[in-house]
Parts: sequence; C-alpha cells; structure tokens
Amino acid sequence: MVRRREVLKAIGMTTAAVTLGPFVHARPARADKGELVVVTWGGSLVKAQRKAYFEGFEKETGIRIKDDTPPTPAKLKTMVDSGNITWDVIETDLAAILTMRKDSLLEPIDYGKLDKRAVDSVYPATRLPDAVGSKIYSFNIVYNTKALPAGKHPRTWAEMWDGKKFAGGRTMNFGGGVTPQLEIALLADGVPKDKLYPVDVARAYASMAKLKPLVNKWYGSHAEAIQLVTSGESAIACTVGPRGMAAKREGAPIDVEFNEGKLAADHWCIVKGSPNREAGHAFINYALDPKRQAAMSRDVPYGPSNKAAIEFLKPAEARELPSSPENEKLQWWWQAAWWGEIGPDGKTNRERETEKFARWMVTG
Amino acid sequence: MLPAVLLFTAVYLYPLSRLVAWSFFTPAPSLRHYRALLAEPAYLTAFANTVTLSVSVTVTTLVLGYPVAYLMTTLSPRARAVVLACVLVPFWTSILVRTFAWMVLLGRNGLLNGALVALGLVTSPVALIHNAIGVQIGMVHVLLPLMILPLYSVMVRIDAAWLRAARSLGAPPPQVFLHVFLPLSLPGIGAGCALVFLSSIGFFVTPALLGGPKQITIAMLIDLMINDLLNWGLGAALALMLLVVVTVLFVLFQRALGLDRVWGAA
Repeated sequence: MVRRREVLKAIGMTTAAVTLGPFVHARPARADKGELVVVTWGGSLVKAQRKAYFEGFEKETGIRIKDDTPPTPAKLKTMVDSGNITWDVIETDLAAILTMRKDSLLEPIDYGKLDKRAVDSVYPATRLPDAVGSKIYSFNIVYNTKALPAGKHPRTWAEMWDGKKFAGGRTMNFGGGVTPQLEIALLADGVPKDKLYPVDVARAYASMAKLKPLVNKWYGSHAEAIQLVTSGESAIACTVGPRGMAAKREGAPIDVEFNEGKLAADHWCIVKGSPNREAGHAFINYALDPKRQAAMSRDVPYGPSNKAAIEFLKPAEARELPSSPENEKLQWWWQAAWWGEIGPDGKTNRERETEKFARWMVTG
Repeated sequence: MLPAVLLFTAVYLYPLSRLVAWSFFTPAPSLRHYRALLAEPAYLTAFANTVTLSVSVTVTTLVLGYPVAYLMTTLSPRARAVVLACVLVPFWTSILVRTFAWMVLLGRNGLLNGALVALGLVTSPVALIHNAIGVQIGMVHVLLPLMILPLYSVMVRIDAAWLRAARSLGAPPPQVFLHVFLPLSLPGIGAGCALVFLSSIGFFVTPALLGGPKQITIAMLIDLMINDLLNWGLGAALALMLLVVVTVLFVLFQRALGLDRVWGAA
C-alpha cells in the first residue's frame, strides 16, 4: 500500500517544485583582454574606490577595471589551487595576508615599479614584501546614541565591560575576530596599550569571560554589527570604526569612540599567478597617489595609507578619520608579528586562537 | 539510468570523495582532525545544538503543515491554487530577504514589540530574535513548504473510497483518521520530515542571523574553518561527522516511525 516509490516521488516532486526559482548564479568576474579584476570589500567602499581610483585609471591606461567581492582567503585558495585564476589585485587586512602568505597565494610586490615618492610617504609598517598599504581602518567602540547619548557613552573598553553603568547588549565578532578582541579584553582588564604583545592569552580569556554574559549576539560581518547597533538590538559593538562613521553620516543613531581603538591597515596585494601583474602594479601605483587617496577618504571615512594625503583634507574632514593626528594618539597600532608566529603545532597564533575562541564561544 | 548515474557521480560523489580526502590527508595522512573533534566538547555541543534545532523545526513544521496539506485536498481547484501560491511564493523569495524581514518584524524596535509595548502588554521589548525562538520562527517559515508539498502530494492520492468504507462500517471520524487516513499519509510524513530535517541540519543563513550566543551550529563552525582559517581538513572532518550523525539519526527516526518498512517495500 505504502510504497518506497511513493515516498521518492513525493520527495522528487517537491524538490523539482521548489528548486526551479532561486538558483541563478552570476558568472564570476574574470579579466578579459585589457581588463583588471580588483577585489575589495564591496558596498559603499567600492563605489568610492571606483570614483577615486578606477575611473581615472581606466581613462589614463585604457584598461577596464572589474570589481568583485569579498576577498576571502578561501576563494583565493580555490582559484590558485585549481589554476583557474580570475582575480588580479585584492585588498585585504594583515590577518588575512598572514593566512594567504602561509599558503603562498600572493605575488611579491616589485617596489621598483611604484613611484618612489609615494611609497616613501606610505606608513612604513605597511610596506611588506607581498603587500602595500591601501588605507587605514580602526576597531572601536561603536554605540547606539539613543541607548547611550554622546557624553554618556563608554569611552574605554573597561567601560564597555561594565554592564551596570552602561545598559544594553554587546555585540562582538564571531570567531574570526579573535584579534583584536583578545587585545581589547586585555585593555579592559587594565593592561596598558604598549604592553599588549606578546598577548597574555589566559588573562585575555579570563577578561572575555566577564563580558560574555553581556554579549547578546556574535556578529558574522561588520555590516551586521552596524545594523545591530543601528536597530538597537545591541547597544555597543566592537567593530570597524569607519563603517560606524559612514552610518552616522547617513543619519543612523550611531557614533564612534576612537579612544583605545585598534589601528591597522588594509593592503593591496597581487594574486599568485595573475596574468596581469604589470597592470596590477600600475593600478596600485595609481592608487597610492596622495590626492586620489584624499578624495577617497572624503567619500568614505577610512584613513589614507599615504600620510601626505592628510594635507589635502580640511581639518573637519580629517577629524572623522581613524588616522587623523588627534585620533591616532588615542589608539594603538595592531601588531601582526605575534599573531603570525608559528607554534610547535605548526599553526600560527591566530589560527590556534581562532579555533580556541570558536570553541570558547560554544561552551565557555 | 546512465546519465543519472553520471550526473550523481559528478556533482555529488566526486565532491564528497574530495571532502573525505581532505579530512584524512590534509596536510599529511592522519586522524588528527577526528581526534581534535572528539577531544573537544565544544564540537559535540555544537552538534547537539544543531540536532536539537533540526528536530524541533521538523516537529513544528509537521504539526503546522499537516492540517494545511489536508485542507488543500478538500478545496476546490481554484481555492487550492490560491493556497498553493501562498505556500510557494514565499519559498521562491530569497532566504536572506525573508530572514531580514523577520528581523524587522521581531526586533527590539520591530513591529511586534512596538505593538506589544503600545498595548501595554509588556513594559520593555521582549527578545524575540537572537535566541532559540527567533531561529525556530525563521527556519519553520523557510522550510514549511518542504513539509506541506510532499504531504499534499501523498494525501491527494488517498482514495476517498477507503474513508467512505471506514465510515460506513461505523467508525467515528477520529477513528477514520487514526486508522485509515494517517497510515495512508505516512509516506508524505516520511518524505516531509526527511526533507525538512536534512535541510535544517545544514542551515546556515537563518541560524547565523536570527540565532543568539547559544545557537551556534555546526554549519557556522564549518564556515569559520573553511572561509576564515583555511583549515579545510578540520572543516571537512566536521562536515563528514555531521553526515554520519545525520545518517544514524535518520535511520533511528525511520525505525521509530516504522518508515523503514515504507522505504524498504519496493
């Protein structure tokens, strides 16, 4: 009476009925002749980059730029491993670069092909063998101004940890944000800014455990963190300050406290085996120009990687940037060296601690 | 038959074999990833979170979907088309869009909380998302069609003569349902539960966005291992463990419902 093929038929019909619609995939970006694929973080950032860099570069060289997102190590690894390379230039942070470097996913940067004056005024710490600084970002206390009006908001990480004085949920990054979250936990516990490295992991987790009851959401992306704070689901986030600033400019009830924030750079890198290395270098060179960087910082509030760019900005414009002289003094520079150190288990500190952090979120 | 076998091998068996290979052979042949999984209670907790969530979503969709599917068999063709559209149209909407819609409805400053506070039923907003309730609502909404459609397709083919016969022999409606209709609809229940349970086990978007600190699922950890850490060995081991756990649970579930006979009786 009841038959196997009836069950199978029921499954089959349902599967057919429901799978017709939503599975239309866009073709991945791939450079044709006279094209360059540049991969950044998308959204309003890539719009600003198109205006500040891509359009001018296209006009000057005749090379068209296609953009793609997101520049995740996993996508890059799949490309390089399969030899099917569709990206040329990617913009990413040092944490991802450490992972990519370990898997040999990046080409060396040929500094001889870049303008010497521009390179000389780029933050020295961002001039790496396989990467050169593209912009400066920060991790800050980003808070909802309805829940915590400016002036009555937490100014230090210790205050973010204080659930009695500052009500409301906290949102922190899921696993991948182990750094700077461990450093920030140390700051909350009273470690001074210049004594963060090497990271005292045990002390950092003990401090994180005090914050954990206040965390009402581990966010998966920084866009989600901004959305959580904007909608009031969480009162305070530890997330990318410039994204908070951009939301504030658009009228969201949100503000950024730069004090005790993490300063770090994003970098331009060239993908291993990219057939467009020449054009890639030409593009990076174009985007290091201080005037063009100033235009970009005016549009989205990231700091320029070329220090000379600040001169082209009005003081009011510079004040909103994480790397303005005043804001830089309030913050600390993230140091990748400790996170990139490889332990006896063959893992970098970042890899080991990210796995541990994930487990700690589930059980701890 | 041959094209089906080729397609199945190319799009399913081959990737699966790659996954098996990663879990045992990256970076060198060893059982290190499986040892790491079994040694850490966190992974087992995440397994438990995932399975509990999937079971409760499956039960809820069955309870909600069964009457809807039954209703559809009693309607006129035109009314049935309307109900079918109501079931299917949301299904064709992007999961992301629907998940965000729930955030707008159920959030702290969302429509529902706004109404509750305005009516004086609560003094401060109730947490309806970023916890177990939120994931449950979001996933049940997404997966309900996967329960209703197989149930309907089986129920509609149940011969009304059986039911009439039972009634004419004096069985009251509850008896007719329990002894005739329900057993005849079992293949639909089996198919619906299978589709919903298997889909929820691997669900990523909705738990990641609507879940809270206590709803971390295996899919979220696999995403972290694959995308963030490039630890494809551990990610693959997690995925395969999930496959094994699901297969075992599924066999048990079928036995419990007596569905193994259903599947086996070709």
